[in-house]
Parts: sequence; C-alpha cells; structure tokens
Amino acid sequence: MVLVENTPSIHNMVVCTLCSCYPWPVLGLPPVWYKSAPYRARAVSDPRGVLREFGVELPDTTQIRVWDSTAEVRYLVLPMRPAGTQGWTEEKLATLVTRDSMIGTGLPLLPTQAEP
Amino acid sequence: MNGAHDLGGMHGFGAIEREPNEPVFHADWERRVFALALAMGATGEWTIDRGRFARENRPPAAYLTKTYYELWLAGLERLLAESKLVAPAETAAGKALEAGRPVKRVLAVADVARVLAAGTRYERPASAPARFRPGDSVRAKTMNPVGHTRLPRYVRGHVGVIEAVNGFQVFADASAAGEESAQWLYTVAFEGRELWGPDSDPRLAVSINAWESYLEPL
Repeated sequence: MVLVENTPSIHNMVVCTLCSCYPWPVLGLPPVWYKSAPYRARAVSDPRGVLREFGVELPDTTQIRVWDSTAEVRYLVLPMRPAGTQGWTEEKLATLVTRDSMIGTGLPLLPTQAEP
Repeated sequence: MNGAHDLGGMHGFGAIEREPNEPVFHADWERRVFALALAMGATGEWTIDRGRFARENRPPAAYLTKTYYELWLAGLERLLAESKLVAPAETAAGKALEAGRPVKRVLAVADVARVLAAGTRYERPASAPARFRPGDSVRAKTMNPVGHTRLPRYVRGHVGVIEAVNGFQVFADASAAGEESAQWLYTVAFEGRELWGPDSDPRLAVSINAWESYLEPL
C-alpha cells in the first residue's frame, strides 16, 4: 500500500476508473459513490469540481495529484494535520481523521468539529 | 476491451450521489453475492483479472444499468458456467441438476479473516532488468485490445514520466486470458494538460500503474 501525503501545496485523491480498487484492509469496502460512474468519470479529469461537490474548496495554487488504481497497488491519503492540534496525542488526532480524508475527497475535521 | 467500465474522462453522468450513514450493504442479497464471489475467488478456479473481465465484458448499456453487486453476480454466474461448475440451466433452476466436481481449494469460515488480511501476492521473481527508471519520459501505447487490459483509454497515446518502479508483477492482461506471466510495473504520472488539452486544470497530474508492455520510450 502506498501512502500519499497531503501538504500545503499538494492535495492527493484516489480513484479506480476501471473498477473499484480500494484499500480494503484499512478502509473496508468502498461507499457506493466511490464505485459509481460519476466519480470514476470525473475524478481524473475534473478533481477540483469533484472536491467542490464534496464541500472542499482548495486554493487555485494547490496542485491536485490523482492516483488511478489500475494495478494491485493500493493508495491511501495521509491528510494534513489541522491547525490548533499542537500537543495532541495520536489517539486524539485520530478522532479528526475521516474516511473521505483518506480517499482525498475530504479534509480532516477541525479541532472544533471533533467529538468531545 | 474498450468497454463501458473504462470511465475516466467521460461526461454526462451528473452529480456524485452520496448517502449519509451509508450501510456496507443495502440488501441481504448483496452481502450474499459478495461472500459467494470471494469464496469462489478463493478456490483458485480463476484469477482476480479473469474475475474483473467477467464483470466488464458486456454491452455498455448492460454494464451501466446494473448495480455494482448485480455486476458481481453476473460475472460470477459467467465464471461458474465457463468453469463448468454451475451450468446456466442450474443457475436458472436455482439448484444442482448434475453432480458437481471438486474445486482446487475451499476457504473455510474460520480462515476468512486471516486469508483476507494476508491478501494475495502478485510479485514474481524478475526475469529481466527494468527497461525504465524514475524520471524517464514514456508514451502510453495506442492500443485497443479486445481482451482485458488495465491501460485506461484516457492515457493511451499520451506522454508521462516514470515516478516509481513497483516490482515485477503478474500481468493482468495475460492473467485474465488464463496465462500467467509477469512484467515490471511502473507508476507513471501525466500532466492534466497532456491528457485533457489546454482547458485542463493547470495544476493537475494523474498517475496510473502501468506494466512495461503498455509503455514505449521517447
């Protein structure tokens, strides 16, 4: 499995345009939208538009790297650490990590959105 | 094959429909089909690549109007028939009409979690040095095989850069045809404008995994 890291200048997003390849051992089975024609069609040609549909607006300067899983290599996105989490334990940080943030169609929760 | 499964870059499918609190399965039959497909895959009667081809190799209208697990069921029924395990008449009747034959392996319930967690290895001992190195410019070949391929249409004929060498791996196209061979597998990155033209997002790059025979040097 290949971990691709988001940075202030690069946002990663994972798709399987040919079928439904997905990092099962970590994320389980994919949601229906991940396997659906609209996502598979547009993730590689208009990822910024897809992200907007998911409520994610990235700066125009952010580069988008899309990983199309065309062989048996699986990809997982390492989301960027949200601001305001200095000194947080690994356990507490994990509460901010959503499934979509590891596919790259979402961002991690903000500290203000975390479950108490 | 140039089938409806090769969706990258297509227009007209509309918005992406998300479902809040989505269940893993939407009906019991989906869970059953998924389990049947995994259990039969584990028998070793066919490869993952033949399994994919059995799902995608159908008229575009049929592929696009079946739900995900309907495609898995249709693929499974075809593989069972091709492998002479369940005849189409038996599928229609919903019961065995003749004595079956033993399969190569049986995945026992107690072993499911361990076997799934262990995964399948697709790496093989290399029989030749890798032709390309990271940083090399390559062109994805223009090709239109009628059989299974994992080179999506949207990259064919386009120039990319080798980003990584992923090992010597079972070649999907041959494996789907029932022949095992292996090749070097690469990660190849393509600029958005190379794939989609001047209207593309200028800050987009798309990477695929490509076997060596999909690529030609520049």
